[in-house]
Amino acid sequence: MEQESLTADEIALYDRQIRLWGMGTQLRLRSAKVLVINLSAVGTEVVKNLVLGGLNSLEILDSSKVKEEDFSAQFFLPNDDSIVGDLKLLHALPQIQELNNRVTITSNTRPLNENEGSYFKKFDLVIATELSSKSEILWLNGITRESNIPLYVSGLHGMFGYIINDLIRHESEAEREIGNQPRVVGTSISGNKTIIGVQYNKLTNKELVKVEDVYSQLDNVLSSKKVSSQLNKRQMRRLSASLPLIFTLFDWQRPTDIEADLDNSKLKAAAINMCQHLNIPSTVITDEYVELVCKQAFTEFSPTAAILGGCLAQDVIQFLSKKESPINNCLILDGIRSEMPIYSL
Amino acid sequence: MGRDTYLKKVLGEDRYQKVQGSTVLMVGAGGIGCELLKNLMLSGYGTIHIVDLDTITLSNLNRQFLFRKGDIDQSKSITIKKAVESFNFHGTKLISHHGNIMDTDQFPIDWWDQFSYIFNALDNLEARRYVNKMALFLKKPVMESGTTGFDGYVQPIFPYKTECFDCQPKATPQTFPVCTIRSTPSKPIHCITWAKEFLFQQLFDESVEGDAEDLSNATDNDKELENLLKESNELVELRKLVVATGEVISQNTFFSEMVRKIFQIDIERLLLIDTLWTNRLKPIPISDAQIEEVADLIRSGGIEQRLESLIDTQVWSPLENLLVLYKSATNLQTRMKNNKFIAFDKDDEDTLDFVVTAANLRSLIFQIDTLSKFDVKQIAGNIIPAIATTNAIISGFSNLESLNFLAQNSRTDSSMVFISIRPNKYVTSATLEAPRKQCASCSVARGILKSEEGTLDQVTLEQFIDKVKSKYSYSSDISIILGKSKLIYDFDFDDNLSKSLSEIGFKTGELVLIQDEDDEVENLELYIEVGLKSNDIELPELELRQKILIEKENGHENGVGKDAEEESGDVIESDMAFETIVIEDEVEEEVPAPKKRRIN
Repeated sequence: MEQESLTADEIALYDRQIRLWGMGTQLRLRSAKVLVINLSAVGTEVVKNLVLGGLNSLEILDSSKVKEEDFSAQFFLPNDDSIVGDLKLLHALPQIQELNNRVTITSNTRPLNENEGSYFKKFDLVIATELSSKSEILWLNGITRESNIPLYVSGLHGMFGYIINDLIRHESEAEREIGNQPRVVGTSISGNKTIIGVQYNKLTNKELVKVEDVYSQLDNVLSSKKVSSQLNKRQMRRLSASLPLIFTLFDWQRPTDIEADLDNSKLKAAAINMCQHLNIPSTVITDEYVELVCKQAFTEFSPTAAILGGCLAQDVIQFLSKKESPINNCLILDGIRSEMPIYSL
Repeated sequence: MGRDTYLKKVLGEDRYQKVQGSTVLMVGAGGIGCELLKNLMLSGYGTIHIVDLDTITLSNLNRQFLFRKGDIDQSKSITIKKAVESFNFHGTKLISHHGNIMDTDQFPIDWWDQFSYIFNALDNLEARRYVNKMALFLKKPVMESGTTGFDGYVQPIFPYKTECFDCQPKATPQTFPVCTIRSTPSKPIHCITWAKEFLFQQLFDESVEGDAEDLSNATDNDKELENLLKESNELVELRKLVVATGEVISQNTFFSEMVRKIFQIDIERLLLIDTLWTNRLKPIPISDAQIEEVADLIRSGGIEQRLESLIDTQVWSPLENLLVLYKSATNLQTRMKNNKFIAFDKDDEDTLDFVVTAANLRSLIFQIDTLSKFDVKQIAGNIIPAIATTNAIISGFSNLESLNFLAQNSRTDSSMVFISIRPNKYVTSATLEAPRKQCASCSVARGILKSEEGTLDQVTLEQFIDKVKSKYSYSSDISIILGKSKLIYDFDFDDNLSKSLSEIGFKTGELVLIQDEDDEVENLELYIEVGLKSNDIELPELELRQKILIEKENGHENGVGKDAEEESGDVIESDMAFETIVIEDEVEEEVPAPKKRRIN
């Protein structure tokens, strides 16, 4: 049985974060069981952050063998060429366990699609990185939906990246400063976020605000036409090509030859097509971005992995804490412009 | 090689080569530093120097992922270098320096000159300001960064081209009037400040002279002033008890004398000044019965058991506070036998316990809520919450933005980035602004004065002045300040003219500030670098800009010259006619308040 309070040792170790999110959140973390699929560059960052944070247990599912290009940004691998071809988890797991021995770290090296739906039921939350195709994303989302498990999906394309999530439904409650106008129950904050409770606290002169997040299934996210309705004129004018280009790549076959660039004109045509699909002007597709993405598609890069892995792990902690409203439901990282818009699709 | 295929594709062959050929400096190997070093190595930087003066503590381990339990008390800069070797995939050359970045002997200016740019991963204002200044001297780009809790920022700095670290005012330490701290506290923080900055300081730390003089400015109430003076003098007597040898004065005597004085006599005295309590709750001194209860427990030897059951995150009873105060006071008294003084340190349990309990007991007396040790530690130790994720995000942007240093349009491509989590975005980025005209750092021209030891012995101040005047075409007389505030020459102070520069104090690492007496051209600050083989003094090639007139603010000139130098310091003067007590600035990592900026 779980202890109901933190030990003095835990409080000393987690001191600086308990001062931020409180004992309650730390206890919730300590009881959370999380699955991370694929120890990619983003996966590596997410695992590092969550293990440091102090989960109950973390299982990593990855059947891949070490490739030479994994020595770009996957820092749990030892610096040793002779391990190329070995199971990646065999070499990475000991380094991960060293981060925090309070977290139970386990591995699963069976290929993803060979795991039955019931396998996923033992986790409170699933994070998948660098899934191989859109159909794999939708297959996994089908399982998590059926078992009522929140799901995050993330990936990198060099300086670009994404987090899409289907957390099904989430309620959060936090004390907020009183704004210019009193908050009203039923107000939609942004797309799928709604205020469902407001309680005024006389003592602190603050409002206890309850927010409900309702999530779309990922096939709806990936085929959404809602982007344009969420942007004002200025935002629409400033919209970068990163969203349609990243969405285009969900339909792209991962290249087997990592040296080769994508076909420029094919990508451009597909991206313009995607713009029509997303109901945004095709003029956002610039040659500069098409050229960048042709080179950077499906590549891993440490700084953007750190940013994306930081956001994703932070959002998982927010989700588990039930204090903050999480990302809902599509975050795009544009490392050229240093932007991270979130769309509610 | 497959290892750098991704890097070549993401950065482009040219830029990747530049990254590989770069020698960069990372100042700070803590929360941001651990993350940043990993990123910099994995993005292919050729040579990285790491500087940190700190050692590893337990509370670092929730986020500084390169450190382990077994590394506690080891040097951060040295440990971090060993820790990253396991993933040094791109053959980065790492050089660590355990030391203070502001140490001019360990880090002279020619050492700084080897870097193409500087990454700040710092946790305090003083070092940030110093690095900023060095960057201005050398015109080196800096990537400044900071985090606090969920918030964080990066700021690329191109010296004299974009805003520097000092261009935007920074949050200043909180201060309180002396009266509030010494006579009329109303919040827990007032009592904590009293316990840490006054009581603890007076009893155990290095003695501070001139209390009496300072106090006369503190209040107009003569009666109160008299009290404050009396209190201080009696504390001096108490301190004598602290350092007296144990055989003559038993530990119990010191403790009970102290408790009677600070929690009874001083309070009773305060109560005699009616005017203080017309609009306030009267304090209630600790009762004799309470003191007796403690004394009984001490005599019966039952206190250890009581102390063991205490939990740091819970609020303690008055008796429990007294017991912990007794325990910590006697420990400190014992330690004083081998130490001239003991400074407060939030990680030193005796000093923390003393401050926690003294503050809580004072709170009880003034009918203020008492706090748990966990909460008092945060306030007394000025602890800023810190998490792995924020540091990861900020280090990622620090690294990402730095790549623009190598790009064609480096300044326009670079932006400041702030974490600001909203339903429709995660960060806010802003274009870099031009330096602020009023900035005390940017409005001064800077350069390096090169010389060799022997030359400084031969050249007189008069010769130096002539040289400076002709080099920079000053039309009027000049004044010269050496170091922080030593005036060595102006139009009616010519005593030093015939002295040699070395006699006056010119040496490596010293700063010389030259001001135009007519106030027409900007000030010039020179960094003295000795060592160059030369028979003469070499002045930097610089064009001094016309001084920008700045409107007078608050009745005194603002922005340039020596006034500005003082203003940028950390000592804050209150507008009120009180002396102020400054809570020390020991923050872990910090974020400036976001300013109104042009948002991308």
